[in-house]
Amino acid sequence: MRNIWLIARREYLERVRTRAFMVATLLIPLILGGLGYGGGFLAQRTKSSAHVAILSNDAVFAQDLKSQLEKGKDSNMLVDIAPANDAARARLTTELKASNSALTGFLEVVPAPDKGDRPRFIYRGRSASDIGTDTLLKTGIKGALLRERLSGTGMDGDEINAALAPIEIENPETGDTTAAFFGAYVLFILMYMVIMLYSMNTARSIIEEKSSRIFEVLLSTITSDELLAGKILGVGAVGVTQTAIWMTAAGGLGVYFAGSLAGSGGHSIITVPQMLFFVLYFIFAFLLYSAIAAGLGAITNSEQELQQLNLFLVMPLAFCMLVVVMVVKSPDSTLSRIVSLIPFCSPLLMNLRISIGSPRPWEIWLSFLLMSLAIAAILWVSSRVYRIGILMYGKKPNLPEILRWLKYS
Amino acid sequence: MPIVQLHQIRKLYDTKVAVEGLTLSIEAGSMFGLLGPNGSGKSSSIRMMIGITRPDSGTVRLFNQPFSRAALPRIGYLPEERGLYKKMNVLEQLVFLGQLHALGADDAAKRAKSWCEKLQIAEAIGKKTEELSKGMQQKIQFIAALLHEPELIIMDEPFSGLDPVNAALLMDTLLDQRKQGRAILFSTHRMDQVERFCDEIALLYKGKLVLEGSMRDVKSRYSANRLHVNFTGDASFLDHPAIAKFKIFGERAEITLHDSEGAQLVLHQAVSRGTRFTRFEVMEPTLEEIFIETVGENVDA
Repeated sequence: MRNIWLIARREYLERVRTRAFMVATLLIPLILGGLGYGGGFLAQRTKSSAHVAILSNDAVFAQDLKSQLEKGKDSNMLVDIAPANDAARARLTTELKASNSALTGFLEVVPAPDKGDRPRFIYRGRSASDIGTDTLLKTGIKGALLRERLSGTGMDGDEINAALAPIEIENPETGDTTAAFFGAYVLFILMYMVIMLYSMNTARSIIEEKSSRIFEVLLSTITSDELLAGKILGVGAVGVTQTAIWMTAAGGLGVYFAGSLAGSGGHSIITVPQMLFFVLYFIFAFLLYSAIAAGLGAITNSEQELQQLNLFLVMPLAFCMLVVVMVVKSPDSTLSRIVSLIPFCSPLLMNLRISIGSPRPWEIWLSFLLMSLAIAAILWVSSRVYRIGILMYGKKPNLPEILRWLKYS
Repeated sequence: MPIVQLHQIRKLYDTKVAVEGLTLSIEAGSMFGLLGPNGSGKSSSIRMMIGITRPDSGTVRLFNQPFSRAALPRIGYLPEERGLYKKMNVLEQLVFLGQLHALGADDAAKRAKSWCEKLQIAEAIGKKTEELSKGMQQKIQFIAALLHEPELIIMDEPFSGLDPVNAALLMDTLLDQRKQGRAILFSTHRMDQVERFCDEIALLYKGKLVLEGSMRDVKSRYSANRLHVNFTGDASFLDHPAIAKFKIFGERAEITLHDSEGAQLVLHQAVSRGTRFTRFEVMEPTLEEIFIETVGENVDA
C-alpha cells in the first residue's frame, strides 16, 4: 500500500504543479461556457435569410405565406411571388441552376381538385439537405393554411393573431427549462472532454516512463500491479481535483448570479446533485477509460503509435455523441434507458438523464454496478498486458502476441 | 553468509532459451563478476534474482532465505537501461526512489545530499534531471542504487558511457562498499574492465554457465603461457619449437607458448642471436582469452 501511495503521490504532485494544469483548470470552463452560451445566444438570434419564390395562383394564400416567411419567429426570408405558369417555372428553374443567383429554391402550390382539400406543395431546392428551409416552409405553410381556415370561420386578423401567439410556460419551481438544459448540456460536453483528457494522460504517462526507461528501476522494488494502481490513482486524483474545482466554482457562481441571470427565475442553472453525480460519474468513467488507456500505453512506444490506437477510446465516446440526440428528445424511452446502462456510456448518458429526465434510482445503481464490473474485467486484461508490455521496447506487439501475454501468470 | 543463491534456474522467452541450468552463489563482502557477451543471459539472470521476472524452474534464495519481495529493499540495482524521471528535480527524484526502498523522506534527503557531494555533483541537486549531462545522470542513478545502503549491489554494465575519470571514481566507491561488507554483483561484457577487481566470476555463454569460480582458481587452471615482448634486431627467435603461435606487430610480438617453461628457452636463444629486448613479460591469460579458449573463436564479444 505504501508503494501505491508513493507512486500516486508523485504522479499527482508532478501534474498538479505544472502550468498546464492551472491553465486548463481556468480556460476549459471559460471556453466551454463562452462557446455554449455564445452559440446558444447566436442560434436564438439568427434567422434564416434564404431567398425563395412561391408559385401560386391563390394570391391571398401566397401573400399570407410570404408574410409568415418574412416576419416569422425564426425566419427573415426574402420571398418572391409569381403566378404558377410554365414561363415562371422555366425562369426559376434556370435561375436555380445559375451559379450567380441567390435563389435558394421555389415552392409551387398545386390547388386541390376538390374545394376544401389540401393543396399539394412541390419544392425544388438548390440543396437536397437544406433542413432549415424545409422546416421553416412546413411551419409557414401550416400557419398560412390555419389562417385561411380560421378566416373562413369569420374571425378577423387580430383575433387570429391572438389565437396563434407563441406560448410561454413558467416554471416557478425549477427555473427556465432552456437555461437548465443548457447547463446539463455543458456538463455533458465537459464530461466528454475530461474523460478523453485524463484517460489519454494515463496512456501518455506510461509511454513517458517507458521511453525514459525508468520501469526497470521501479520494478526492482515494487510490482507492476502496484505501479499501475498508483499511476491510475495519481492521474485520477488530478482529474477529480480539477472537476471538483470546476463544480465548486460553478456552484458558487450559479448561486451568486442566480438572481441576476435573465430567465433563471432565481434558480441556479446547475444543481448540487448534478455536481455530485458529475464527480461520481467522472471517477467511474476515468477508471474505465484509463484501464483501457493503460493497456494501450503499455503496448505502444510513442505518442504517434498511441494516436493510431486511441480509436479504442474515441469510439465509445463518439457513439454517445451520436445517440445523445435521441436521449435528449426522449430521455426516459426504452432505448435511452438501454444505452444509458452501457458501462462506456453511463457516465455521459445516465448522467445526462439525471439532469434532463427522471431515471429510477435502481437504474442509477445498476449503472454503477455495471461500470464496476466492466472496470474489474478491463483491469484484469490491462494489468496483464501492462506487466509484460512495459518491459518490451521496440516493435509494437501484434494481437496473437498480446493474447499470449494474457496467459502468463 | 550467501547473499544470492541461484539453483538450476531456467528461463524461456517464447521458444528462445534465455538462461538454462544456472547455479551460482554470491557471498557477502565479495565482488562477483557475471560476465559474457551480449545476449548471453546476464540481464535475464539478474531480473530473476530481483523478482522482475520469475524463473520457469529452479530456485532463487536471497539473504539465505527463499525468495521474497520483502527482501528487495535490501538490494540496490543499477539496470543496463538507465532511467530517471526527466522532468523531476534531482533531489525529489532521489528521495522518491529512496522512499520506494523503505527510507524515510528526511533520511533520504540527507543521504542524497551527502552522496552528491561525495560524487562531486552537489551543484546538480536542485536541477531538473533533463538539464544534466549524461555522465551526471549516470551518477544520479548510481546514487539511487546505493542510497538505502543495500546489502547487495547489482550493477548491470555500470561503466558504459562514463569517461575514465568518473569510471575510476565509481569503482573506488564500489571498492569502498565491498570493504564495508556489501556484496557486489557486476554484470558486463567488458571483461578487461572488471578483471582486476572481481573476487569471483561466472562466465555465461548462450544462457549457460561455461566457467565459474574464484578469480585465482580460474586463472590457475590456465598456465601462464602468454609472452609479450618488445625487441630490436633479429626476429628469427620466433621460430623456436617452444612457441605454439605468435602475432608480430613491428617490433612487438604476442606469443603463445606450449607451456610456461618455454619462456626461458626462447629468451636464451634470442639473446644468443643478438636480439635486444626492451620488454620481456610472461603473462597469465586474460579473462577474455580464457573465455575465447573455452567457447571457441566464434564470439562477437
